[in-house]
Amino acid sequence: MAYQLYRNTTLGNSLQESLDELIQSQQITPQLALQVLLQFDKAINTALAQRVRNRVNFRGSLNTYRFCDNVWTFVLNDVEFREVTELIKVDKVKIVACDGKNTGSSTTE
Amino acid sequence: MDQNNSLPPYAQGLASPQGAMTPGIPIFSPMMPYGTGLTPQPIQNTNSLSILEEQQRQQQQQQQQQQQQQQQQQQQQQQAAVAAVQQSTSQQATQGPSGQTPQLFHSQTLTTAPLPGTTPLYPSPMTPMTPITPATPASESSGIVPQLQNIVSTVNLGCKLDLKTIALRARNAEYNPKRFAAVIMRIREPRTTALIFSSGKMVCTGAKSEEQSRLAARKYARVVQKLGFPAKFLDFKIQNMVGSCDVKFPIRLEGLVLTHQQFSSYEPELFPGLIYRMIKPRIVLLIFVSGKVVLTGAKVRAEIYEAFENIYPILKGFRKTT
Repeated sequence: MAYQLYRNTTLGNSLQESLDELIQSQQITPQLALQVLLQFDKAINTALAQRVRNRVNFRGSLNTYRFCDNVWTFVLNDVEFREVTELIKVDKVKIVACDGKNTGSSTTE
Repeated sequence: MDQNNSLPPYAQGLASPQGAMTPGIPIFSPMMPYGTGLTPQPIQNTNSLSILEEQQRQQQQQQQQQQQQQQQQQQQQQQAAVAAVQQSTSQQATQGPSGQTPQLFHSQTLTTAPLPGTTPLYPSPMTPMTPITPATPASESSGIVPQLQNIVSTVNLGCKLDLKTIALRARNAEYNPKRFAAVIMRIREPRTTALIFSSGKMVCTGAKSEEQSRLAARKYARVVQKLGFPAKFLDFKIQNMVGSCDVKFPIRLEGLVLTHQQFSSYEPELFPGLIYRMIKPRIVLLIFVSGKVVLTGAKVRAEIYEAFENIYPILKGFRKTT
């Protein structure tokens, strides 16, 4: 049971919107849409674990933090995301982080 | 009709500056010189006038003996003077028609025994002024004030709390019930950390002063209150205070543990500091070779200061000379 963490990403939201359109036009059932999303969770988790190798550093000042249900939520200000190739500066970033060892099945997003 | 009703008649002499060690307490002081008439007399009559005459006679005898006992009784004079002045004024008030106001007694008190802490206007040539430090009569204060580094306090918010709600809605909160059954919350001003338990009790740590600790605890209580819980602020109590300071010279810890072994424990292989458990006040001091001292276990600030004043002369005795 993979983290449903990635449903609220650009990719995950696009998928959810598309599925909602299909449900509206009666082309698929809601149950099928749910199965698609579950498959998406599995796929995105393995893809990020296996197929992504690059490393990004980031630094900023911590505004708030929270730890509940083994999920960390940070809000940082004036953050610099630094990759070898490029640098991105942002005023505010919210980071939601789950345990990488995948010890618990998380139903929170 | 006993007009000198502040003390029983036999103890009148004891209230005078030279006669008693503590103000106003009619004790049979071992310091009382023999033959001055200060030894307690049986009550001959209750006529206030005759008692007054007897008192004056005793005082004149005391004056003759005064030069012999000045150094020893300087402190007692000053302490007794407070009571003596009070008593002399009360005695004067009760004299009334009697013309024998104890002028001698009164002026004597004023010039030779000023109130503690004030410099007299006319320093008597007979009595040198020394500050009242009853505990360490010969030494002066260290001039070093320990700085408070940490205060731990507790307070009862007076209602049960739902920790998950608090952790989810409050900022800067951690809650990991598998590891610890409390929400760990932090605020930036005063920079402190609080442990909030589901019973409604809370521990506040990290403040640098008593007032800051109380203020921080109130801020946490307000956070909890804003989340919808009927939080109160019951039984705020400071549980521990930690202070530190530097004596500015290196210390021979080995020597200290040899002479004060009943109070000290020094295991350099375990911990580089000597652990000194002072009995009065009940404070634990960590003493390091560098001369840095950490004091902990105090419930009030004065205990830290008192403990340091107690240890400082001891540490001076173990100063490293190389």
